[in-house]
Amino acid sequence: MDIPICIGQTLLLMLFAPLVSGIIKKIKNNLRMRIGASVFQPYYNLAKLFAKEEVVSHNASWIFRVTPFIVLASSISALLLVPAFVSRISLNSMGDLLLIVFVLALGRFFLALAGLDTGSAFGGMGSSREMFISSLIEPVAVMSIFVVSLNAHSTNPQIISSMPVVAFSSIIAATSLFFVIIAETSRIPVDNQETHLELTMVHEAMVLEYSGRSLALIEIASYIKQIVFFSLIASVIFPWGISSGISIDSLLISIGAYCMKITILCVFISVLEVSAAKMRLFRVVDFASIAFVLSVLGVIISSMGR
Amino acid sequence: MLGWLLFAGFVLSMALVVTVGNALIFLIAWEIMSMISYFLVIFDHTHEKSVKAGIIYIVMTHIGTAFIIASFLILFKYAGSFDFAAFKSASRTIPPNLKHIIFLLLLVGFGTKAGIVPLHIWLPYAHPQAPSHISSIMSGVMIKTAIYGMLRFIVFILGIEGIWWGNLILILALLSCLVGVIYALMEHDLKRLLAYHSVENIGIILLGIGASMVFLKMNLPVLAVLSLCAGLYHLINHAIFKGLLFLCAGAVYKATGTRNIEKLGGLIKMMPWTAAAFLTGSLAISAIPPLNGFVSEWLTLQAFFLGALSSPGGYKVFFSICASLLALTGGLTAACFVKAFGITFLALPRSKGVTEAKEATFSMKFAFVFMMLLTVLFGLAAAFIIKLLVKVSGFIFGLNTEGMNFSINNFSLAIPQSGAYLSTPLIAIVFAAIAGICFLCVHLFAGRSRIGSYNTWDCGYYNLDARTEYTATAFSKPFRIAFNFFLLPYSKTEKIRESFYHVKSFKYEVFTTFIFRRYVYDPIISLVLLAAKQTRKIQAGSIHMYLAYILITILLLIFFYR
Amino acid sequence: MFVDILLSAILITGFLMIAAKRIGAIIKGFISQSLILFLLTLLLAYKSHSVELYVVAGLLFVVKVILIPHFLSRIVKKIKVDENLGLFLNPTVSIFVALFFVYLSYIFTDKIVCVEEGIEHGAFSVSLSVILMGMFIMIFRMKAIAQIVGLLVTENGLFLAAASVSGGMPFFVEIAVFFDIFLCVIILELFVYKINKAFTHIDVHRLNGLKG
Repeated sequence: MDIPICIGQTLLLMLFAPLVSGIIKKIKNNLRMRIGASVFQPYYNLAKLFAKEEVVSHNASWIFRVTPFIVLASSISALLLVPAFVSRISLNSMGDLLLIVFVLALGRFFLALAGLDTGSAFGGMGSSREMFISSLIEPVAVMSIFVVSLNAHSTNPQIISSMPVVAFSSIIAATSLFFVIIAETSRIPVDNQETHLELTMVHEAMVLEYSGRSLALIEIASYIKQIVFFSLIASVIFPWGISSGISIDSLLISIGAYCMKITILCVFISVLEVSAAKMRLFRVVDFASIAFVLSVLGVIISSMGR
Repeated sequence: MLGWLLFAGFVLSMALVVTVGNALIFLIAWEIMSMISYFLVIFDHTHEKSVKAGIIYIVMTHIGTAFIIASFLILFKYAGSFDFAAFKSASRTIPPNLKHIIFLLLLVGFGTKAGIVPLHIWLPYAHPQAPSHISSIMSGVMIKTAIYGMLRFIVFILGIEGIWWGNLILILALLSCLVGVIYALMEHDLKRLLAYHSVENIGIILLGIGASMVFLKMNLPVLAVLSLCAGLYHLINHAIFKGLLFLCAGAVYKATGTRNIEKLGGLIKMMPWTAAAFLTGSLAISAIPPLNGFVSEWLTLQAFFLGALSSPGGYKVFFSICASLLALTGGLTAACFVKAFGITFLALPRSKGVTEAKEATFSMKFAFVFMMLLTVLFGLAAAFIIKLLVKVSGFIFGLNTEGMNFSINNFSLAIPQSGAYLSTPLIAIVFAAIAGICFLCVHLFAGRSRIGSYNTWDCGYYNLDARTEYTATAFSKPFRIAFNFFLLPYSKTEKIRESFYHVKSFKYEVFTTFIFRRYVYDPIISLVLLAAKQTRKIQAGSIHMYLAYILITILLLIFFYR
Repeated sequence: MFVDILLSAILITGFLMIAAKRIGAIIKGFISQSLILFLLTLLLAYKSHSVELYVVAGLLFVVKVILIPHFLSRIVKKIKVDENLGLFLNPTVSIFVALFFVYLSYIFTDKIVCVEEGIEHGAFSVSLSVILMGMFIMIFRMKAIAQIVGLLVTENGLFLAAASVSGGMPFFVEIAVFFDIFLCVIILELFVYKINKAFTHIDVHRLNGLKG
């Protein structure tokens, strides 16, 4: 019974994922006093991309063509590990929270390679910056995971999400994980998803050469990665409302709570994106060190028992 | 012919080092190993760089051997014989202060061979200059014999006396990790890059070992066994994937004649097997699931996590910081290998010599496939290997490991204390299944793919060639700037002008200051040379003076014996 | 009693060699010392009735009294150098230094050899002083021939030490040493010839270019 629910949970979240981006964009646009596109615009974009023809550069090799599938598979594998709606259902015999970080690293590795594959300077620049930012932000992610796990005495997300009380240090860990989300999902102040100027590109630069359905697959993968991180904060660190059984009403409550938490996160991110400016690339070091110090603080507070 | 003879002797001497039970024969085998590897490093003796590398290597390794001999002599004084068993039983009678000194001597002695920072400087010289198959064995096996020596002598024979031993090793290991990977990011010589990564991976191995020493002293036997397993597992994994990477580097060197990545590119089309092998090695070393490097790094992180769980406050923070710095080195390694693989194999060739590169021969391909299979195997069969390693670790610590079970069935690892599971075969299956399903779905729903082929987007400039590709120096520039407090980079530019307005050529070179060389080794070397210059004055040139020295010695002996 | 006379004769010949100012004189002194040593060895052989010592004495006579001096004088004639054996210290001071050596070796022997058999005590101190005198000749005389003779005198002293204290070195060692010495002299003779040809002098003191 667990496995079908797990797969169902994952499919539901996959379906949900572009909607989250749409909501964020809508809120941002409303904050900018515009009406903006509809929340379902990402779906329309994906449908359009699937219909288009794909153009591959002469210089590219098999890595370029294989990468979209690898990135998508790695994101979905990461999604399988997160117990979003029911606290004891996820594919935890495959791995724990640390595996999420590494599985996403797999996708990133191949995406960076694909950026270099076509021989364009944009791709190289994007790959270099992406690896730079991600390597600086990885210790923060691991540290935040440690804080949360120390409070729950396990790195298993199922056990963490079944904790009755959210410790103070977990809240601090959630804050530093929020910094990680900003870096990993390419939001301002680290990267700008709406622009294609080379000054401000990181993720967009890497996938510049992609078109058609490969681009659609990579977009889906980045939406899924975003929702993985959101679910980490929503369901694992703040498991209020999560159901421990698979009865219908607890599931409905759980899904409702989840949606509310995601919406709150979307509001946070939109406000941040609208009010902050994008940092210079080399300021990301400061950004990462602030987040790191926060998570060390979390460890210290956790070691004191809070 | 001579090369093969030396090669066989090298492998034999290494086998001897890890199997003998007598300290004297151990030293003899150690010396033979060092000497033969020296000969192999300078094998291409016409190249003056090889000779220089050989000198640095032989001096450093002999300094290390001197420290090892010193510690053996102290142990011999207490044990009365050179057998390891005698050492072990005599180690109980050694006073604690002396044990500290012996530990430091052994650490420096074996650390020189292993390549712990700051004793690592011979690694980036010796490994690139040696022939590639020798580099792969040197990097994969020889530096591990030093780790074997540390485990055998410090942990097994001496017994861990103070908790600061483990702490010291942890700090040195962290230093090695970070220094190794930061220097590796700046390197553009393929084998030098791999040599610096060896320094980093020795750091990761020592993280596991140091943590196990700390846990043993804290009376946490299960954790000690777990961390030692993690360290040993990484030892094996590193041997496999580093060996594979060096072999690929050798194949690239043979095909193109250059090791400089800035001149390579586009080799994936001409050398597909080599590229696949290098990709596997890069994925393994960057700790990407489900390959073997990932499993050992995961185990080390779990060991640190459990250590943080079970230890008092200060150590919680220490272990968490160790774990996050390990994650940092993992991220930086991935960045470095994206650079190495991407610039060497992908996009267009950057120099003429590369366009004529040919694929490796059958014997090389065979080696590649074998190592690739081993990489994948050691990743998927992790649970099985952990069972064996638990027994080994239990023996090293003298603990009974009956109840310690870290693998459920033969397919997944389980850490009972923290309730975490890891199943690499499941990861591989799930991954492949999802990728396959996505592929099918996409084809079903979106029809057959229509792929057109055209130039890379060129912003409207036509005829873009290899000169507009991203370079390795540019790739590592963010890292150079982020870590410039440590690297102290400086650049040299050279402009050749025809007239004030027409610059004919512009050369730009970036260098990093090697702070260990500048601030640690150069002062020591100049001190030694100064002392030698003063001592030279004894050699006056006249035979009579020399004979007089002998007479004076005899007279002095007669005097003193009165 | 005879032994004492012979021992003092060895000492006196040693002094004569130290005080010598010409090459011919030092070689003659060496011949006489070796002769007296031969007689001493014969006496010891007679006293201990060992055949080996007789053979060794015979070898001593042949090699050191006849062969080596013959070769030495041959080389001296061949290279036609100045007879003067360059001295760093004049004969008077050299004699005083040699006296100091004898005193030193006497004190040393006192400490280590127990005074049971008179022969050993005296012989050992004489042998030690002869060794030191030989080294002195090597150091404080400029010409190459002096170094050869100094080496041979040192070997004389060693032989005497071995013969007196322990009844001679093992037989084969003695034979080997003699052979060695003989060959040594031949090789050194060759060297001296070459040095003379290259530098037109055999003044070793001037050959000091190999400095640090």
